[in-house]
Amino acid sequence: MAPVVVAEHLTKHYGRRLGVEDVSFAAGAGEVLGLLGPNGSGKTTILRILTGYLQASSGRAWVAGFDIVEQGLEARRRIGYVPEDVPLYPSMRVGEFLAFMGRLKGLGARPLRQAVDATCTRLALEAVRGLAIGKLSRGYRQRVMIAQALLNDPDVLILDEPTNGLDPRQIIEVRELIRSLSARHTILVTSHILSEIERVATRVAILLNGRLLSVQPLEQGASPRLRVRVRAASPDAVRAALGAVPGVTGIVSQTPVADGVQDLVVQLGAPSAAEAVAARLAAGDFGLLEMTETRTDLEGLFLELTGRAAA
Amino acid sequence: MRTFTTLLAKETRALFVSPIAYAVMAVFLLLMGYTFTAMLFLNKIATLVHAFFQASMLLLLIVPVITMRLLAEERRSGTLELLLTSPVREIEVVLAKFLASMAVIVTMLAPTVAYPITLQIFGDPDWGPVYSGYLGLVLLGGALTSLGLAISALTANQIVAASVSLGLFLLMWMLDSLGSLLPDPYGAIVVNLSLLAHFTPFATGALYLSDLGFFTTLILLGLLLSVRALARR
Repeated sequence: MAPVVVAEHLTKHYGRRLGVEDVSFAAGAGEVLGLLGPNGSGKTTILRILTGYLQASSGRAWVAGFDIVEQGLEARRRIGYVPEDVPLYPSMRVGEFLAFMGRLKGLGARPLRQAVDATCTRLALEAVRGLAIGKLSRGYRQRVMIAQALLNDPDVLILDEPTNGLDPRQIIEVRELIRSLSARHTILVTSHILSEIERVATRVAILLNGRLLSVQPLEQGASPRLRVRVRAASPDAVRAALGAVPGVTGIVSQTPVADGVQDLVVQLGAPSAAEAVAARLAAGDFGLLEMTETRTDLEGLFLELTGRAAA
Repeated sequence: MRTFTTLLAKETRALFVSPIAYAVMAVFLLLMGYTFTAMLFLNKIATLVHAFFQASMLLLLIVPVITMRLLAEERRSGTLELLLTSPVREIEVVLAKFLASMAVIVTMLAPTVAYPITLQIFGDPDWGPVYSGYLGLVLLGGALTSLGLAISALTANQIVAASVSLGLFLLMWMLDSLGSLLPDPYGAIVVNLSLLAHFTPFATGALYLSDLGFFTTLILLGLLLSVRALARR
């Protein structure tokens, strides 16, 4: 399947300051690619280059097959963009703003009416449609912003920190919305919060100081069990015993937690291997103190990659 | 074209909804009415020359107030990012803002048509200078608006935009007197950059292509600089 978003060797300098350097990635149809990194890592810069708001110092990018510089208008017609700061015209009414944005995106009178109706319904904006945007809560303003991005049913949705400033209920709603939209759109979403990316993305691109460290797949909806943490008083015996269990792909020793007691992270080739590990540990006398499943460790990966890069 | 008309409608509405436009118009018409009446009773001559010079001076002061927020406010609030990531060209954004501002200026000038009509009722004015005077005011307004727009495109601070615009306009107006102090050819060059030197013939009923070209060039230069300022990001 041809990628919908392609970035090749993107570099951006702000004067003498580096924004991003040599960033390359691709995202396919229906994929949710999360850009993860601390503040100032270059996430927003990458999104702004892809939307045509910033011009890259070097490198190229394509959206839906259109070069974002040479075919900028065509590329931008295929993008729905939600900037981080939710910039809106406070004096405009919600319906008026959506109609304005729809016309800018090239929608004719009838499709525009239908699109505004449909997005208002989908994002539960009917009740505030006639209100001035300046009078809306942050949550509603975020919804209005997402609604304008969806008006022309774009191939690519670009969401910059979409859950910033929202309350827990609104965060859950936005997360659900992103999941539901992923069936029809390629989505690029940024966050500096690991769990946000982990919950919505199918792949994660980890950034630090403007550099892309790694792009890793995340298994949405799959059993989270590909690792088991074992705390035992006889870690060497555990290591020897589990090394022979089918489905165990690796055992990583961690720092001892007490005299003789140590945690071991057992990596599993398949979720079913967890049962075999449990059975083997129950059968022997290993001084077993604790055995827990651990989630796919994006946090660990992030810390490992960023720690390695910082070193 | 549809995108442009959408932007123009939005800009025009934004300007006319704003209380700034009405405050500016009210002040302008009040001062113009005072000048016209005073000069008419003092001189008892059916001419608008003084009114045109008064209007031109007021434009120098008023246009920065109209243009200061045009792009600076969009930049400050972040809506510029929303606009420029939509399928919109920079030139469409700039032209829409320019024409909407010109609509405010023309609307502001329109009620002053009552002055020549009054002169016609009670006297016998020469209509040539009246036409050229209004043409001069529109051209001056256009030049100031496009330059103010360009300055507004360079900053996110409205006060900075207004201050720099006002300073530039006053300097360009007064270049006339500075030019007379300089030796040729510098003096002639500086005089030729003066707004006053190019506006005076319009106000007094003399139409020169050079004056027309000067204001047209300033308008195009301001628009070009605005587009360049938006495109450089």
